[in-house]
Amino acid sequence: MMLDYSHPGKKYALYPIRKRDMEALGVPFPREWTVHDLKLPSNWKELVLKRMTEILREWRSVKLYLDLCVHCGACADKCPYFIATRDPYNMPVARQDILRGIYKRYFTMEGKLFGDGIELTEDVIRDMYIYYYQCSMCRRCAVFCPYGVDTAEITMAAREILAVLGLAPKSLTESIAKCEYVGNHMGIPPLALLSAIELAEEEIKEETGISLRIPINKKGAEILYVPPSADFFGGPHWGTFKGAIKLFHHIGLDYTLSTRASEGGNFGTWFTYEHMKKINKKIYEEAKRLKVKWILGGECGHMYRVVHAFMATMNGPADFLEIPTSPITGTKFMNAAANKMLHICEFEADLIKHNKLDLDISKNDQYIVTFSDSCNPARVMGLIEEPRYVLRHSCRNYVELDPNVNREKTVCCTAGGGLLTDETLELRLKAIKPKIDAIKATGANFIAFICAIDKAAYDTYIRYYKIPAQVGGVTEILGNAIVLNRDAIRK
Amino acid sequence: MDDIILLLIGVIMPYIALLIFILGLFYRLMKWLSSPVPIRMPLTPAPISRLGVIGRMSTEFLIFRSLSKANKKLWLGGWLFHILLGITLIVHLINIYLYENFTNIINSAWYDLSVAFSGILFGGMVTFLLFRRVFTNTVRHVSRLPDYLILLLLFVIIFLGNYTRSYSGVSLNDVRTYMYSLLIFHPTLPPNNTIFLLHYFMAQILLIYIPFSKVAHLIGWILAPSRNMRNIARFKRHINPWNDKVPGDIEPWEKYYERYKQELEQLGPEGERK
Repeated sequence: MMLDYSHPGKKYALYPIRKRDMEALGVPFPREWTVHDLKLPSNWKELVLKRMTEILREWRSVKLYLDLCVHCGACADKCPYFIATRDPYNMPVARQDILRGIYKRYFTMEGKLFGDGIELTEDVIRDMYIYYYQCSMCRRCAVFCPYGVDTAEITMAAREILAVLGLAPKSLTESIAKCEYVGNHMGIPPLALLSAIELAEEEIKEETGISLRIPINKKGAEILYVPPSADFFGGPHWGTFKGAIKLFHHIGLDYTLSTRASEGGNFGTWFTYEHMKKINKKIYEEAKRLKVKWILGGECGHMYRVVHAFMATMNGPADFLEIPTSPITGTKFMNAAANKMLHICEFEADLIKHNKLDLDISKNDQYIVTFSDSCNPARVMGLIEEPRYVLRHSCRNYVELDPNVNREKTVCCTAGGGLLTDETLELRLKAIKPKIDAIKATGANFIAFICAIDKAAYDTYIRYYKIPAQVGGVTEILGNAIVLNRDAIRK
Repeated sequence: MDDIILLLIGVIMPYIALLIFILGLFYRLMKWLSSPVPIRMPLTPAPISRLGVIGRMSTEFLIFRSLSKANKKLWLGGWLFHILLGITLIVHLINIYLYENFTNIINSAWYDLSVAFSGILFGGMVTFLLFRRVFTNTVRHVSRLPDYLILLLLFVIIFLGNYTRSYSGVSLNDVRTYMYSLLIFHPTLPPNNTIFLLHYFMAQILLIYIPFSKVAHLIGWILAPSRNMRNIARFKRHINPWNDKVPGDIEPWEKYYERYKQELEQLGPEGERK
């Protein structure tokens, strides 16, 4: 495979964080900087090495992964950004090698004695900023690595280091600031949220003749439902939101939304542990304040990296909640016994399994549905069968994608990791090609996702590649099939 | 050859090399273990049970399962290389310490022939890996001096080993007597054969180098949290020892309510819409 030594990846550097967001989020050295002129503080080298020392002490994975790699090259052609750009730095191993070089030079004997590794210069920091923010932390390369070296963890470490120099992208930190202060990444204040919810109520009434009321901040509800905030925003997410609301009404679920925790997603995941922890904390705080029994999460990808792997560890123990138990089927979800938060597909699959839903799957007959796995549910949670189970039981025409880009081998939508911005659009359109080809080959006209970023990104991709398909959610397909024109079936 | 050199290569170095190899790997292991695993985040397909993890790690160890998904040519080359490495090590043990027991079971002519064959194939596999490193664009780009050095060192050792066995004229019985003397800590001088000594010396260098090189993956692979953890993060709370040191407080509800009071009250009293 040919490499392009002109480093085309550099073209897609993310725009720098704004000074006011640096101040709002407490990012050090608030200033106006550009990728060409980083305006690093005078003691930047010291800060980098200090942070790196801490990270090596805190994360066995990082230390181990920096040491283990044998440069076999198995991962090289597995990264969509590399396939798109042929930029050598976009090979997962080369991406890791920037940090590995610094590690070799300053933290190993061969580096200290013989100068092996990479000497810290401003150019190295610039490369780190460009290429560690050109990784969506999707973990696809790790699936193929003989030692399980996970580039995502190296990227997380690199972003922690960049953060102490005040280096971060604009789009990502803007969303984090909105999430911490307004309540969600989209910056939807309570009143706007209310109007979105009223619109959903009206539309459902028009479609089904059923009036329902969506509770918000309702104290004492049984379940707190936390979707990604994109669901309130319309577009390809809207059907998923309405689908969930129809489902809840259908089974007579006692649930509530929260304005303050109106975001399941967590852009902090892509920045620092600190901000991930803060954003995630709101969910437990609201669950506690509203005195719910347990939490149900909507269709969102990276949200589940945090919910599944970090939430209980970071903000637990969630002793004030109960083990999620379906009030309809009585199923006790022991898999979420510690963090008390369930994925909506797990909840739905259980309802279907117990035959508790009144479904008319002919409502989806106009669709040939395919499911595109999202990186985090597939590779972090291992949530692979549940969404497929829900789809197979709510539509007649379901097709699978090419196994090379399916299940745990799924290709990232290339918009994760903070890359869902306009400056990366050209890159993303190229990088998504393998997945687009697989989708085309199935002839599907409905692509179901369980990730809000997938939905937002693919909405653009399918128009660019002229695929006559609709982008939506698994819950949307289920919602279509739900027969609502009856009383709620909950006894 | 001088007795001094024989003494050095044959009596002093072997113990030192083995000691450095064992202590070096132990040091590396301790260094890795000294950092905690703060987060439980294994990689799919991650089993839920311990037995499942053992199964997963075994397939990684025995057939390099993940690598087989990545690149069939590299997988076959890499796997054969490791298998032949294992066979070679076993053959050395048999030749030196168990030859009689073994040739009682197996016809010695056949045995010698298969040993010669595996030795040559082993050299072939190292050559393949070396060629691949040089002639694959992507791999060449990420290859550094140590990546070549280790392969070259192996190639030299294997070449000399093959030569020692077939042409050097060193008596296997002499080698056996000498190696046995090392084992019982009453070392005698090794057979005075240049090719054999060179092969032997290079192998000692390799042993010393391993703990400080990427070959330390021979123990490190077991520790990879992406593979050796159970997928139970939501079932059982994993403890991160430094979690509390990271600030995690966020604007409380009261402050949030204060800011959005007007809007929230349109939802209902205290922002509650039932």
